[in-house]
Amino acid sequence: MRLRFTLKTAFRGLRANKSRSALTILGIVIGITAIILVMSVGEGAEQLILDQIRGLGSRTIIVEPGRQPKGPSDFVEIFTDSLKPRDVAAILQPANVQGVARVSPAVAVAATIVYGTETKRITMRGTDPFISEIMNLAVAEGSFFTDEDVRRRASVVVIGTKVGEELFGADAAVGQKVKIKGKTFRVVGVLKEKGAGLIDIDQMAFVPYTTAQEYLLGINHFHAIMVQAQTEALVPRVARDIELTLRESHNITDPDKDDFHVTTQADAMASIGIVSTILTVLLTSVAAISLVVGGIGIMNIMLVAVTERTREIGLRKAVGATGGDIMQQFLLESILLTGTGGVVGIALGAMFSGIASLVLRYAMGLQWGYALPLSAVMLGVGVSTLVGVVFGLYPASQAARKNPIEALRYE
Amino acid sequence: MALIEVNALTKVYSSDELQTPVLHGVSFTIAAGEFVAIMGPSGSGKSTLLHILGFLDRQTAGTYRFDGREIGEHTDRELARVRNEQMGFVFQSFNLLPRTSVMDNVRLPLLYSSVPPAEWDERARIAIDAVGLSHRAGFDVAKLSGGERQRVAIARALVNKPRVIFADEPTGNLDSQSGKAVMEILQKLNEHDNHTVVLITHETYTAEHAGRIIRVRDGLIESDQAVAKRLHASSDFVK
Repeated sequence: MRLRFTLKTAFRGLRANKSRSALTILGIVIGITAIILVMSVGEGAEQLILDQIRGLGSRTIIVEPGRQPKGPSDFVEIFTDSLKPRDVAAILQPANVQGVARVSPAVAVAATIVYGTETKRITMRGTDPFISEIMNLAVAEGSFFTDEDVRRRASVVVIGTKVGEELFGADAAVGQKVKIKGKTFRVVGVLKEKGAGLIDIDQMAFVPYTTAQEYLLGINHFHAIMVQAQTEALVPRVARDIELTLRESHNITDPDKDDFHVTTQADAMASIGIVSTILTVLLTSVAAISLVVGGIGIMNIMLVAVTERTREIGLRKAVGATGGDIMQQFLLESILLTGTGGVVGIALGAMFSGIASLVLRYAMGLQWGYALPLSAVMLGVGVSTLVGVVFGLYPASQAARKNPIEALRYE
Repeated sequence: MALIEVNALTKVYSSDELQTPVLHGVSFTIAAGEFVAIMGPSGSGKSTLLHILGFLDRQTAGTYRFDGREIGEHTDRELARVRNEQMGFVFQSFNLLPRTSVMDNVRLPLLYSSVPPAEWDERARIAIDAVGLSHRAGFDVAKLSGGERQRVAIARALVNKPRVIFADEPTGNLDSQSGKAVMEILQKLNEHDNHTVVLITHETYTAEHAGRIIRVRDGLIESDQAVAKRLHASSDFVK
């Protein structure tokens, strides 16, 4: 009841100066909106990336050339030719690595695909058919190339939906002949549409890795070796055994001098989590500057209010209010100001991030999920209240210290 | 026992280099139930005296006992409680809360009291009745006349049933008709409800509504006498 009256007084004070109150909390509104927006969009981006990694399957282990990067500025030597067919053979030896279900080597080719007068620049992967299982690729027309195609170095290609649409339009793609780097390939399959993500499958094409190595790249090493463990529980052991095996066959004694690195899905997810946390903290700190500026505005306006209401303070003291009562009243008013700013900011932030996710999803074709983390809402409420307390404390203590007679005499 | 007991009270306002003596040793007692006017020209120290009596300020030397207790024995928090529960204030410029109803203004002292909130409305209503403003209870004070505003201030002073009401030039900003109504209420509170009233004024006419006049000049008491022919604001009160 007492608190209700104090709140009523506080509301009356704020309502009496509507436009002043609104302008005062603008800084807080902007700050909280920015924080919510950054946290919400950051969460959405992280989820998108994590979904992609999850899509690789939890049993998949990736071996890539070059040593493990030690930080964002540590470039991996991806162009080394350290991964050779004999490494694949070594990993397949149960005496070396136990619990391996499949080993699937891969190479990457950047090339132009030509059909008649139509040309398109695409990202190509030289793989074996197992990639369709690892990456969850479904075929819409025709079929994926086979192990036999890999063995024979067949000139066959499986294309993404967008590649098919652009080259052949409405015509059937399967059975058509296309040229890649001057060599003729036969289209054997078109993939089902996947939607854009980190890697846009719809814009890609797949050929047998043996064909890519021999005719398109002229190399005999791999850009990656994907290993699938028999069970998820075996993943750490298989990863460790691969490291030991490759180190032995590459004659490496010092792990710091590895010419390859092994990544499991858990590793990749953890490192993405760290990167996204660092980014979110960084951007949130920038938004927090606006809160400090907004808080100073609050303090300024509260000091003005204390001066304007000097007589009221004197009267309240004369009828029995203690310094503590006055302090409480003005603190409550500044918390009410910043709290209102916080609520408005959360609503605006939620709205803007909703719009952003719609744009990303429909205009850019990303599989973007809208996320408003509870932690962001709590942070918004907590921080805006805290700003009210911190920047209201000085004006409120000025009010509490006023001498009742001088306050009553004040004109 | 005297409610108010002042002995050799002095007050000196001191700033960094300036010492301004205002009261030079003032002594008197006021018994419970009295109606006393403190009179003097401006600058005589009468307002300073009222501030000390009302626990809004502390004396430089001398003693002031209220209800048997010396002011120096109280902490600031206790002074606030005594002001809240035992004293009521009426000021020349009303000092009402702007943009606030009569009811909420009168309720203000209850906010800082130990009275249970359930009794607040009833208490405020009784106080508003006592000053004859029941028909205005829900009004915003901005809509009231000066005389009505001062009556709201008196109702606010009454709401905690104080032992003494301090009125500092309560008729100073009012026309004679409204001033008369205010004096009538103060006299009624004193005679019917036995409230002690201490009135500050510079007008002899207003002071003669009291039972006793203490004249102050240059920080000293000039005279302290009972009023021979007391004025009554309401003709009903003529004896």
